[in-house]
Amino acid sequence: MRTPIEAPITSTLSRRGFVRAGGALFVSLALPAQQAQAPAGNSVDPTQLPSWLEIRADNTILARTGRTETGTGMSAFYAQTLAEELNVRPESITLILGDTDRTPDGGYSAGFLTGALNLRKVGAYTYQALLTLASAQLVVPVTELTVTNGLVSGGGKQVSYGQLVQGQQLDLKIPISGTPARVDATAGNGLSGLDGYVVTGDPPMKPISQYRIVGQSYPMPGIPAKVTGRTKWSCDVKLPGMLHARMIRPATLGSTLISLGTLDKQRFPTAQVLRKNNLVAVVSPDEWEAISAARAVANTTKWTAWAGLPGSDNLTATLRAVNWGAPCETHGNAGTVATALAGAARTISASYEQPYVRHAPMGPYVAVADVKPDGAVTVWTHSSHSQGLRAQLAHALSVPVDKVVVRWLDQAGQYGRTTFGGDGAEADAVILSQLTGKPVRVQWTLQEDLAWSTVSPGWVADIKAGLDANGRIVAMQNDSYMPKQMDARLLGAILAGLPCSTSKPSNFLALEWVYDRIPAVCQRGFGMTNLAAETPAGGLRGNIMRTPGQRQQNFVLEGLINEAAASAGADPIQYRLDHTTDQRLIDVLKATAKAADWEPRPSPGPGARKSGPGTLTGRGVNIMRRSNAYWVGIAEIAVTPETGAVQVSKFTIGLECGKIINPRQLDRCMKSGLIMGLSETLKEEVTFDKERVTSTDWSTYRILTMAEMPEIRTVQISRDDQGFGTGGEAANGICAPAVAAAFFDATGVHPRRIPLTPAYVMRLLKT
Amino acid sequence: MATKLAFTVNGAPRAIAAPPQTPLLYVLRNELNLTGPRFGCGVAQCGACAVLVDGHEVRSCVTPAGSVNGKHITTIEGLPALWAAGQPSAQTGTLHPVQQAWIDEQVPQCGYCQSGMMIAAVDLLSKNPNPTAAQVKDAFTNTPPSPHLCRCGTYAAIVDAVLLAARTMSTGKAG
Ligand code: FES
Ligand code: FES
Repeated sequence: MRTPIEAPITSTLSRRGFVRAGGALFVSLALPAQQAQAPAGNSVDPTQLPSWLEIRADNTILARTGRTETGTGMSAFYAQTLAEELNVRPESITLILGDTDRTPDGGYSAGFLTGALNLRKVGAYTYQALLTLASAQLVVPVTELTVTNGLVSGGGKQVSYGQLVQGQQLDLKIPISGTPARVDATAGNGLSGLDGYVVTGDPPMKPISQYRIVGQSYPMPGIPAKVTGRTKWSCDVKLPGMLHARMIRPATLGSTLISLGTLDKQRFPTAQVLRKNNLVAVVSPDEWEAISAARAVANTTKWTAWAGLPGSDNLTATLRAVNWGAPCETHGNAGTVATALAGAARTISASYEQPYVRHAPMGPYVAVADVKPDGAVTVWTHSSHSQGLRAQLAHALSVPVDKVVVRWLDQAGQYGRTTFGGDGAEADAVILSQLTGKPVRVQWTLQEDLAWSTVSPGWVADIKAGLDANGRIVAMQNDSYMPKQMDARLLGAILAGLPCSTSKPSNFLALEWVYDRIPAVCQRGFGMTNLAAETPAGGLRGNIMRTPGQRQQNFVLEGLINEAAASAGADPIQYRLDHTTDQRLIDVLKATAKAADWEPRPSPGPGARKSGPGTLTGRGVNIMRRSNAYWVGIAEIAVTPETGAVQVSKFTIGLECGKIINPRQLDRCMKSGLIMGLSETLKEEVTFDKERVTSTDWSTYRILTMAEMPEIRTVQISRDDQGFGTGGEAANGICAPAVAAAFFDATGVHPRRIPLTPAYVMRLLKT
Repeated sequence: MATKLAFTVNGAPRAIAAPPQTPLLYVLRNELNLTGPRFGCGVAQCGACAVLVDGHEVRSCVTPAGSVNGKHITTIEGLPALWAAGQPSAQTGTLHPVQQAWIDEQVPQCGYCQSGMMIAAVDLLSKNPNPTAAQVKDAFTNTPPSPHLCRCGTYAAIVDAVLLAARTMSTGKAG
């Protein structure tokens, strides 16, 4: 039985006006309340409100999003932004994240802004529907209703959302566009539909100036369970009859299998060796037996030889020798810039570089798969893009996506490596479950993860600036050369010889330009395939990593701005102010400089020297604009020339990202993102010989420790007139240029490469 | 060969049969369903698997279960009881001050490393109830066998939380 209540819809911006004029929005209550389930196919129908949210009789709300928690606080931000539109407490909202059979939108998790906009719009549509219902029930015009904490008041009467709905469902059509992810050979990263479904229309949303919940430091919902041990992580999934697997990987990044090693059934009575093409594993009901047996079998398994890598010591020379051809992406006109450079009073130029680095989570990949005899696949994962993973798996198995369900659970942060739905242990688990007919849990080892997961490619860049007689920049040419960061193939599928997504040789320009007072600028991105190409074992697969492209390109741009400021004898902050009219940048730059007690003067500092005893100090600055947010980083460092040691002693980080959603969590993200950026700046390098990756544990792939953390100060500017920007991700993008500038300030030498390891610093100071 | 092993885990006696060289981590996670300690590296380089054995941090990934036979093992699931045992006035269900501080200071991001971090904090505070920030950094970095690593970069929050827990615990003891 349905009782449609007709409510008008309009695209005017007033929440009240919404219910008065134009269009047609049908609000009805359907009995009884049902789970959001599509009629068939393991997917929910994104046009149905219950697929997005349900209001329960106790006035609590269940909200669903295909996006996931990546560790930066998304789950709180979604609850806060939705609560704001609905006028409820965020605590009353429970979220279901990332499960492909229980959530609707399925976009990638880096896209918080699009994910939040979906939920905000759903909230706004629902709010109007609830007002309509309340108006009918209370017999009070909508214009006289107010809502506080889910309680609608008007005409001296009150009714809660829960009472309005009373265990029924709001039957509200949600207008949507877009599609979930699918493997698409025409897309550069092999996947289209990255944003999933997009809620359309223009429901009246609450003006930011009236926000009460967004802007508050609402606590992160998942933390108490994580702290007490109640969280169920994806590594904790345990199914009846489940087997534990350890993979046996090829001897090199290009080897194929010659012969399987032998399994000693006396020692490992319940273990079993499995193989599909070059995918080899040992499974056992007992995890320790699987581990021990896999080690033994690996020792006697034979692989072909391969030596196609250049060796990390030869990386720069190798990249320099590549014939890059035409740029993949160009902003500006190289000819105009060449003319302007030729007419400049003088030019400065530099080449920058960085070796390969990687995401290196604290927990190596893990996944559980259960493939039923009828081919139905369920996978438990921490991929940050469940629908993308679902598409990748269905493609590999050559089955319709409806056959695959991906369930999302917490696990170690991935920092971008699963954004395109790939990488990971999921294909391993699915293939092994198919082979055994049992649920299989695949836990990668640390060594395996650091050798076989995708990497953020090394790169080189050339930048040249023309200066006028006053030292102002009049033209800039900025060229980046980098292998692709788009290879999302699942390692298991590659090794097993199953269909994989594809990716194109590419490089993308990621800088958002702020130096509008530089008249002539050209940026070019030159791309190539994976270094040493793709092999039967996958090769060195390039993938995006936190603040992708931009953190690398910002090192080059901001590095050169610092070099130009020094060459012009200018204070590096004033020099930046001289090259921009962007008031948002100017405001946060000045505020951060003040917090850092910055005293204007040119670099290098008066005591700068390259050698001699003791410790030298220096300071440096850099800025960045990303996704409607403005970042400033100011580093203070100590350099010991005799040892090459660089310690960042203090770092001041400033951010204006429009309306700040949760100041306390933003503070946490600014500091922690900074730690990751400093780690990359000071320590990180993926090393490899001609055959394989050699930095395969924490003693050879070094990351920042607690003792190496600087004192950190944060500056936040929130404003109501610029919408939302992204604050959780990008602090790692404003570290390297500031530290490099501080190094120059201390020593008079420009570092044009990271990481600033003692060995590299010693070399640098000797030149 | 599987051997009978018995220990006290989070205050309760537990007996299992396992080959004695099985790392404690797998016994806790798979036999005893204690999933607080997690697999990070398996080679004593990260701290994700840390538990307390007789009050001291050990890396359960490299600790043979047979070597802790008869000993007292504490995981984060047992921290509330550990705290209550030393505090006659503590209400049951009260979190260990270290756990409460981890919530109040909003420490975890992905949270994967944090079980080990809290174990290290409890160990540190048992030896040094009133550490300075520098001592906290030193303990989490230079205590063998390896630094406690956090890839999300929550180190600043951890220092804040350890100092907060130290304050709470000294008040608790005084009161
Ligand atoms: S898992 Fe034991 S120290 Fe890393
Ligand atoms: S909180 Fe993610 S690794 Fe520490």
